[in-house]
Amino acid sequence: MKELSRAQIRDLMGEVLKNQGKALPADDAADLREVGFRSLDFSELALRVEDATGEELNFDAPGLRRIATVGDVLDFLVELQRQ
Amino acid sequence: MSDPTTPARPVPPSSVVLVSGGSRGLGLAIVTDLLDSGLKVAAFARTVTPELAKLADAHPERTHVGSVDVTDLAAAQAFVRAAEERLGPIDGLVNNAAVGQDSLHVHTATADIARIIETNLTAPLQLTRLAVRRMLAQGRRGRIVNITSICAQRGFPGLVAYSATKGGMDAATRSLARELGGRVLVNAVAPGFFASEMSAVLGQTQLDQIVRRTPTGQLTEPEEVVPVVRLLLRDQTNINGQVIVVDGAASI
Repeated sequence: MKELSRAQIRDLMGEVLKNQGKALPADDAADLREVGFRSLDFSELALRVEDATGEELNFDAPGLRRIATVGDVLDFLVELQRQ
Repeated sequence: MSDPTTPARPVPPSSVVLVSGGSRGLGLAIVTDLLDSGLKVAAFARTVTPELAKLADAHPERTHVGSVDVTDLAAAQAFVRAAEERLGPIDGLVNNAAVGQDSLHVHTATADIARIIETNLTAPLQLTRLAVRRMLAQGRRGRIVNITSICAQRGFPGLVAYSATKGGMDAATRSLARELGGRVLVNAVAPGFFASEMSAVLGQTQLDQIVRRTPTGQLTEPEEVVPVVRLLLRDQTNINGQVIVVDGAASI
């Protein structure tokens, strides 16, 4: 199975934000609320990862509630690809 | 992850609309109206009727039709892909396909209950998931209209499983509207009984009774529902997560 790297996911996250006129900070500790990255943006990012890997990613909402920073998003999706 | 409330951009009017169950009755009327309004329409049904085929012939550049059973998810996926290749990205969905019922609950076969639930509830939820995934993956916004029924809100004998599925879709409409955060507008239109094939499940006595109790003095016609569907797909109204009843006030 093809797997996207953390850096590749970061690029996709930047594209999701750019489409909304927002910028992805370089700092992984940046707060998602300040960035303006919402849960539907996370869904869009996950679907872009699916599109790139050809593997469907399904997950429960509680996992998402722990996500607060840019780094959390990247870690979550990297880990999700390995499950 | 928590979402702050931020003013969202309005969802643009739909321009390419997928209609399930578009071959006859209300579905055909919706397809006809959307084409008359200049939209592109992808419509499927178990059988492509001569009426739907005629519409496709009249608008070949704006129409994609096919024979698909809504419960066949793989076939529905293939249809959506082909429709998007031909018409462009789908940004509107009308979940209209449904099967009726004409049997008291105690006399309805278990297999028939399962079939009604699969066709009227599971399949539209799956089709919605498919459409929304494509919208989100491409960073697009869109609109969804679920065709439900007054049966979801009022009781009618012989329609127990049918009513349960329509109530389920009304409930899903509200939760989807919340979940999709204004990026996709989700509403339902709940017609009263038509003097058509779906109303064949009610006896003449019941239909007469409904007419007597309806302030407008008439059963609903598909042509009276169509403008409401078009409004939800096209107009800027901020209506979201609602079930709009079109029944001449029979149910109030």
